[in-house]
Amino acid sequence: MKADVAAIGPGVWRVTIDGKATTVWTAVDDAGMWVHADGRVHYLANEADVRRSRTRSGSHDLSAPMPATVRAVLVEVGAQVHAGDTVVTLEAMKMELALRAPSDGTITAVHCQVGELVQAGVPLVEIA
Amino acid sequence: MFHRILIANRGEIAVRIIRACRELGIETVAVYSDADARAMHVRLADRAERIGPAAAQESYLSASAIIDAARRSGAQAVHPGYGFLAENAGFAAACGDASLVFVGPPPDAIARLGSKTAARRLVAERAVPVVPGEVPADQSDEAIAASVAHVGLPALIKPSAGGGGIGMRTVLGSESAIDQVRAARRDALAAFGDGTLYVEHLVERPRHVEIQIIGDRHGRLVHLGERECSLQRRHQKVIEESPSVAVNEALRADMGEAAVTAAQAAGYQNAGTVEFLLEQTAHGPRFYFLEMNTRLQVEHPVTEAVYGVDLVHAQLRVAAGEPLDWHSGRTPRGHAIEARIYAEDPAQGFLPQAGPLRLYREPRGPGIRVDSGFEEGDAIAVHYDPLIAKLIVQAEDRERAILRLRAALASFPILGVRTNVPYLLAVVEDDSFARGEIDTTWLDRQTAALVESLAAEQPSPAARAAASHALERAQRVPHATRTADPWTTLGAWRLGS
Repeated sequence: MKADVAAIGPGVWRVTIDGKATTVWTAVDDAGMWVHADGRVHYLANEADVRRSRTRSGSHDLSAPMPATVRAVLVEVGAQVHAGDTVVTLEAMKMELALRAPSDGTITAVHCQVGELVQAGVPLVEIA
Repeated sequence: MFHRILIANRGEIAVRIIRACRELGIETVAVYSDADARAMHVRLADRAERIGPAAAQESYLSASAIIDAARRSGAQAVHPGYGFLAENAGFAAACGDASLVFVGPPPDAIARLGSKTAARRLVAERAVPVVPGEVPADQSDEAIAASVAHVGLPALIKPSAGGGGIGMRTVLGSESAIDQVRAARRDALAAFGDGTLYVEHLVERPRHVEIQIIGDRHGRLVHLGERECSLQRRHQKVIEESPSVAVNEALRADMGEAAVTAAQAAGYQNAGTVEFLLEQTAHGPRFYFLEMNTRLQVEHPVTEAVYGVDLVHAQLRVAAGEPLDWHSGRTPRGHAIEARIYAEDPAQGFLPQAGPLRLYREPRGPGIRVDSGFEEGDAIAVHYDPLIAKLIVQAEDRERAILRLRAALASFPILGVRTNVPYLLAVVEDDSFARGEIDTTWLDRQTAALVESLAAEQPSPAARAAASHALERAQRVPHATRTADPWTTLGAWRLGS
C-alpha cells in the first residue's frame, strides 16, 4: 500500500491511497498530534512524548484528570512531600480539585503555574 | 426600531444576535466576563462592557452588573439570548424599571410559566391536553386501583411527596394494579413517610415535539410548526429537526392551535416554545403539554430554515412594538437538521473539555449553516457551557438532509480539544435514525454501544500517513514561528482611546 500525501493548506493534507483521495486535518500540540479524517478524530502521542515518558519510569507524575485552571501550586522543586500532601489545586467546572502526592518523595519538576489552563493527562508535577 | 441594544449573553447566541442587529442597522453592546475579554462576541460587537469575573454568578448571571452596563452604554433594549437570565422574571422586570426594553415576553408571563405544575394547570383550564393524572381523594388501595383504570393503561403510580423516580411503579395490565399500589405505598412510606399516591398515564417511548410560537403587542400570536427534539442524551437535546416524521399537516394544525392557546392563556408576547410529548396509540397520535420555554431556543435555526424566517429579527421588531405580519398554518419547505457540537469527551462519560481550538475549520456548501462563538485560535473556557457550535443543514427532504449532515460533520475538523463530532456522526449513520424510528429514550439506549464502537476504531491509513508527514514538518519548523497572525494575537484595541 502506497500513500501519496500532499499538503494543501495549513494543517490540511490530501492523502491518496490506491487511487482514493481523503482530506485529513492535523494539529500539533505540546504532547502530540490531533488528526481528523472523515469525521473520526484521533490523538497520537509524538516521539518526544514517548521519550519523555521512558526517562520517567520509577517516579510519579501528577496530572489533571480533566482540563482545568491551576488555582494554587503548593510546592517547589526540591521540596519533600509525604503521601497524601496536596501539591496542586485545580478548578474545573466550578469544582475545586486537590492533586495529592501518591507517595513520600522529592519534587523533581513543576510544569505549571497559577492561572494556567492545563489539559487532561499532561504532567503538572513530578515526584521521585 | 432601536438604535443600540445590549446582548446579555456570550458564545454562539451572542454572535448570532449581533449579526441580526448588524443587518437591521442596530448598534450592539457585548458584555463579557474576565474569561471572555477577547472572545468572538466581544470582537464582533460595536462596543463591549466588562461585567465581572469569570464566575457566571458574578457576571452573566448578575442582573445588576448587566443593567449597569446597559445604562453606561446607552442601550435602549436588552436581548437575553437563552440560558443565563433569559427566563428570569425578576431580570425582565428590572430591565423595565430601568427603562430598558426586555427582548422577550412580559415578566408576568415568564413568572406564570416558570412553575411546571402551575403552567400545566393554567393550560389545562383552556383544554390544552396534559398528561392525564390525578391524586385520588379516596386513598384506599382499591380506589387507587380504580384510578389506574380511569387514567388509562399503561399507568404510573407515584408517591405524591416524591421526586427523582423513587417509588414509582408501572402498571401495564389491570390484573397487577392492586399489587403495584401496595408496593408503591410501602416504598412511599419508607422513603417519604407519606403514603399518598398519585396516578399518571405512562407515556411510553414518547417523542419530544415542540411548537415555535411568536406574538406581537397587538394581539397577534402565531405558530411556526414543530421541531422534533427526541434525540436527547440524559435530557440534553443533541440533534433537532423540522419537520417531524411523526407530524402530518392535520396534527401540526392541532398542536399549533394548542400551543397558541397555551401562550395566549399566559398573556405571551415575543418568541417562545411550547413543548409536548407525542405518543402513538392504537387510536392515532396523542400529544400532551409538557412546559413552555419563554425564550429563543438553541434549536431555533431549524425552524428558520424550513419557514424562511429570521426569528431574531422578528423578536427585535416585536419588542420595538412593530406588528407581526405572519400567520399560522404555513407549510414547511424541505427539511432541516441541527447537530449540537460540544467540547466533551464521549470516551470519558461526556466529560466537558476545555482548551485551545488549534485547528477549527467550518464546513461550507449549499444548505449548510454554522452558528458558533469561536474561531480558530480561541480557547474553550472551563467556566461555561461547552457548546462550540451548532451545525444546521437544510435540503429538499429528510434523506438528503441526513446525507448533507453526514458530509458536513465529516468535514468539520475541530482539533485541540475532544468534541462529540465522531459521536454525532455515529448517531447520524445509524439506521434507526435514518428511518426516523426515534423517541426520547432511544439515544440513552444506544449511547454505550456507539461510544464503545468509536473507542475501538484505530486511525485510518490516511490519518496515519498525514500524521507522519505533519510530525516531520513540525519537527523541521521552529516552535516560535508557529504562531497565529498578528491581527488576532493583538487583542482588543481601539483607535483614539
